[in-house]
Amino acid sequence: MSARGFGSVIWAGAVAGAALGFYLVSLRVASERAALEDVETEIAMAQRDIRLLQTEIGTRGRLAQLERWNVRFIRLSAPSADQFVEGGFQLATLVKPAPKPAIEAPVILASAPVEANVGEPRLTGDADNGEVPMRTSRPASEMVHVASYTVPQRSNVASPQTAKPAVTNTRPPKPAVTNSRPPKPAATKTVKTATADPLAPLSSIGSKAKGSAPAGSGISTPKTKSRDSDD
Amino acid sequence: MNAPTPALVARPERLRLVGQRRQILAVMHQRLMFGMIVYAGIIAIIALRLIYLAAFGDHAGRKSGLTDFAPERADIVDRDGQALARTIDAWTIGLHPAKIIGNKLDIARKLAELMPEKDAAAYLQMMRSGRSFYYLRRRAPPDLVAAINRLGEPGLALEREPDRLYPQTTLAAHVIGFTDVDGKGNAGMERAFDERLRDPELRGEPLTLSISSRIQQALEHELGDAMTKFSAIGAAGVVMDIHTGEVLAMTSLPQLNPNAAGQGTPEARFNRATLGVYELGSTFKPFTVAMAMDSGIIKSFGQMYNCPQALHVAGRTITDTHPFGRACSVAEIMKESSNIGTAQIADQVGPTRQKEFLRKMGFLDKVQVELRERGRTLTPGANWNQIETMTVGYGHGIAVTPLHLATGYATLFNGGIYRPATLLKVDRNHAPGKGHRVFSEETSYKMRALLRLVVTQGTGKKADAPGYRVGGKTGTAEKIVGGHYTSSLVVTSFAGVFPMDEPRYVVVVMLDEPHATAETFGFHTAGWNVAPVVSKAISRIAPMLGVRPDKRREPNMAEVLPYVHEKAGH
Repeated sequence: MSARGFGSVIWAGAVAGAALGFYLVSLRVASERAALEDVETEIAMAQRDIRLLQTEIGTRGRLAQLERWNVRFIRLSAPSADQFVEGGFQLATLVKPAPKPAIEAPVILASAPVEANVGEPRLTGDADNGEVPMRTSRPASEMVHVASYTVPQRSNVASPQTAKPAVTNTRPPKPAVTNSRPPKPAATKTVKTATADPLAPLSSIGSKAKGSAPAGSGISTPKTKSRDSDD
Repeated sequence: MNAPTPALVARPERLRLVGQRRQILAVMHQRLMFGMIVYAGIIAIIALRLIYLAAFGDHAGRKSGLTDFAPERADIVDRDGQALARTIDAWTIGLHPAKIIGNKLDIARKLAELMPEKDAAAYLQMMRSGRSFYYLRRRAPPDLVAAINRLGEPGLALEREPDRLYPQTTLAAHVIGFTDVDGKGNAGMERAFDERLRDPELRGEPLTLSISSRIQQALEHELGDAMTKFSAIGAAGVVMDIHTGEVLAMTSLPQLNPNAAGQGTPEARFNRATLGVYELGSTFKPFTVAMAMDSGIIKSFGQMYNCPQALHVAGRTITDTHPFGRACSVAEIMKESSNIGTAQIADQVGPTRQKEFLRKMGFLDKVQVELRERGRTLTPGANWNQIETMTVGYGHGIAVTPLHLATGYATLFNGGIYRPATLLKVDRNHAPGKGHRVFSEETSYKMRALLRLVVTQGTGKKADAPGYRVGGKTGTAEKIVGGHYTSSLVVTSFAGVFPMDEPRYVVVVMLDEPHATAETFGFHTAGWNVAPVVSKAISRIAPMLGVRPDKRREPNMAEVLPYVHEKAGH
């Protein structure tokens, strides 16, 4: 009796529960759909706003307006035929690379006064500067070597018959000097110490000069010795 | 309870009474039951409805119509997708006289202050009249709307309604056209494609025109400048792709603002490029020469014609501005734009062949284009005899639209195939118009050098844009005033093609009644006023069209140069 009575209650409850469950599912679906529609509406409103803004920007920046500004203030004009280039190669030919300053030039100038004493009368002006950047290594080495030897020769020993021709021809003096060298091997020893001082800051260049020195003059042995001692 | 039962047997009256009560009770039960059933039914119906709504119905906050956003009328965009016409929501101010609650006189005064097109009395009269609604202002500016809103009068209605806006204002106004206040196309493409623009299925998709805004702007600006400089009453210009027939720019001046089309003069609303027909003069001469070449009359540009000081035919006299007074070659005729020489060539072609060629080029019918505003060409008609053939040969006695001329030049230089002009972008949705052959390919090829010669050495020197190999022909046609040609009023035109070694685009420019200025040394011929426009316009638009200037390229000038005498002319 009682079980049967509860049975109907349970049934009713189950049916009600199921119905409620279904209803909740449907409610959930409906709310999701509503949310989706809200998003869609938002998208549509955003699209409308975008359109409105685009239209406004387009109207404010209309071509006629830009043209008016161009005519009055900006004054850009169509490019002429010469302003077009065929391609990358032609473009590259139009660009001249910036002249690169010769790095060794100041170094040589620094040692130039030493050499000026040698070729004393006219080794001061621009004429020499112009030549120096052209052949950088050779003059540098020549200047340095010649300076170290000739100065003591003239001051100490004073052999006028050999020194005079050396002064007259500025660049070729070496053969003249080399001729005069063999008689004074003793003088060179004192000079070695003298050369060490002016060359001390130039030690890095000394190696370069050394490489070119052998070609310059036949008597290279004393020089190389002195250079080695510096290094 | 039992006391008042004097008799076991009830009296008959009482029995009757009991019977009546029972009857009454039964009736009451019936009625109650009926009422209950009715209530239960109603509740059941409501419950079922609720269940139905819960299961399948829409929710209360649903906003229908907004989710699928599409404009009321499709946009019109140019070939690059830039908007040329758009529909936006604009404010409308309305008046409901019956709903007004404030002091009518005060409101009328304030309205007159805000919208001074009518005075206070007029507004008061509107409010007192029996009509239910007035439009006070359509397309009202936002500050006016705000001011009206501040009045706080319920009788003044502020509503939004779709409105057509042309963001580029006057740009390509005659191509786009305009709509009336109800959004119906009234001119131009708005009119020609009204159905398509309003079609609910298609209005989400913009209508893509073949017009390019930047090219259009360049053409309009240069043409407008020339029009002002030479005090012309009007101007027209067309830029066209000769292979597809796409019109890249088409303009008619004076300008029209389609945002306020009603305020434009009839002169401004008139489309000179497709509706106006003009005798375009010497720009016709290349057609005559091409006809003669195609018919085998001219075999080489060195062919000689007798060019006297004046030619007398059928009681008429044909003259030249630069008379040769000697025999001249075809190349020279074209270079110096000789009417006498061309007339003789046209005479050799003959009216029948000439008519046939012109018909094939579409010069005898209305111009083929999508617009509805198309002018009827004027031809000699039935009276097409020798003298008419001659005058038509150099562009007089026949009046066509500038767009006709552009199509004709496109036909002449694209290899000889006529293709109708189109204002819709040619792509996979829209194929170019069906073409048919008019001139042979060889004729088309040889004409390049001839027209290039006109620009390098002839009347069109000022049309040359260095590097762009412009070729073309000037045309100065006298206008008819009171039945006579007058030399004071002219229509000058220039039809140019570039780049001439591989023609791609045609430019037709026309000025209506230009006047001479000090700069032009008193001349008002095409070489002085429209040719510079072409030069300037081409040097602006050619880079946009991808034409690379190259000063070392030229068409094959060996076709013509041997036949030009150095000291000829001037």
